[in-house]
Amino acid sequence: MGSENEKPTFTRMKTEESTVIASHRSQFMPSAFLRILGKKLVQQLKDFFLTMQEFFLFSVRAFMAFPKMIRYWRDVLDQATICGTDSIPIVLVSAISIGALLAIEVGNLLEDFGAKTMLGRSTALSVIRELGPLLMGLMLSARFGSRNGAELGAMQISEQIDALRAFGTDPIAKLVMPRLLAALIMFLPLTALSDFAGLQSAAYMAEHYHRIDPGIFWNAVYPRLVAKDFVVGFLKAPVFAIIITLVSCFNGFSARGGTAGVGRSTIKGIVVSSGLVLIANFYVSKIVLENM
Amino acid sequence: MIELRNVSLKYGDREILKNVSLTIQDNTIKAILGPSGVGKSTILKLMLGLIKPNSGQVIIDGTDITCMKERSLYSIRRKMGMVFQGNALFDSLTISQNLGFFLRENMKLPEEEISRKVAEQIQFAGLEGYEDQLPESLSGGMRRRVAIGRALIFKPHMILFDEPTAGLDPVSSKKILSLISSLRHHNNLGAVIVTHIIDDVFNVADSVAVLYQGEIIFDDVTEKLHESEHQFIRSILSDKILEL
Repeated sequence: MGSENEKPTFTRMKTEESTVIASHRSQFMPSAFLRILGKKLVQQLKDFFLTMQEFFLFSVRAFMAFPKMIRYWRDVLDQATICGTDSIPIVLVSAISIGALLAIEVGNLLEDFGAKTMLGRSTALSVIRELGPLLMGLMLSARFGSRNGAELGAMQISEQIDALRAFGTDPIAKLVMPRLLAALIMFLPLTALSDFAGLQSAAYMAEHYHRIDPGIFWNAVYPRLVAKDFVVGFLKAPVFAIIITLVSCFNGFSARGGTAGVGRSTIKGIVVSSGLVLIANFYVSKIVLENM
Repeated sequence: MIELRNVSLKYGDREILKNVSLTIQDNTIKAILGPSGVGKSTILKLMLGLIKPNSGQVIIDGTDITCMKERSLYSIRRKMGMVFQGNALFDSLTISQNLGFFLRENMKLPEEEISRKVAEQIQFAGLEGYEDQLPESLSGGMRRRVAIGRALIFKPHMILFDEPTAGLDPVSSKKILSLISSLRHHNNLGAVIVTHIIDDVFNVADSVAVLYQGEIIFDDVTEKLHESEHQFIRSILSDKILEL
């Protein structure tokens, strides 16, 4: 009998307890949840603005270190080789493939309108204004940006950057400024190379795929190109150089937490710089085309 | 002389150092003993001005470096050489280039003078024949000796060692400790050694500060460590090595 009495009592107690907890939950859960969510959001906003402030100061210090370029000319040359000469194959491959593809697709489209002779003009504009610099920017974000992020991240983790500071060397002048200067110098010829390779491959496809005479193709390119087209394309090179170098180097310097941290900072550097390259590409085109 | 006055430091919510005060006299070897992760290496970085405390003062030869700008700190840092825990050798430079790095960066010396000083350090560290090798091709003990040579080459007043024997085999450890001892006798240098190995303290240090839970619980000559009644010190004296 005793056990029969206990069972319903216990069940009743549990039921009452659950009802009380449930009613408390219904009263307090949303406000508690909102409070925690609000706190997290505020913290994330704080972190974001702190990171932006640090990035701004980091960028200013990198530009302020330019007078030291003579002292670190060897580092500038090394970085120019890495981001310039060594990047030629990837820039050529991407420019040639996109030029050829563009010629095929745009040629097919123009054929429907009986305007195949305009292929040179449309391809040249797309390559010189947009695709040449953009592809080069994305390729270099992956190649040069990842190298910067991983190398500087590894130096940060292994305390080599602290060692530079301990031995009286400004790590931003020694490590970031040469990379920034080299990128500013080398991205311009790489853009030119990307444009040239893209147009050549488009011309090749126009001749061999669409059976357009090279004379007609090039005649639609040269006489119609104006200064504005080159300004749009070539202005992007220094903008991309600044974005890719500073973002990747900043992420390298911010690496924490061992080898996994280096991986995280490298990925973050590539993702952020690629995104910013795409955004900058749009705004540079918009601003120049609207104002020239 | 290096002095820390009531230094406190926090990383986020974690309190690393609580009101730490320390004095390191010139031409003496002071050990800072404590378990891993307690903030010993942080003290060395504070001394170099690589990080700033939340409160308190770091005074080097009478100059408060706590609020100094990075550029002004360079002249202070030249008084101290640092041997990092992982050596922090520049892995894209050869041993000679690593040793001569400071001289090339900060002193307008002729290349012959730099080469002569580098050769001296190569001989001092017993690394003849390895001048043109990259750090990755050397053993742990050799890399540590290169790091010591790099810190010594510009004749600082004080050398800061972060776990000088950690990760080394007993023979290499012995070599490094005798190298540290010889510094004071031959070069009249002071040193701060951060370690979690108590035998290293008794082998080379004149005085020792024990850091436990962010606080200095002992700071006196090494011999008096045995007289301490603190439970943590009694336990490390019986175990001889702190938990890693």
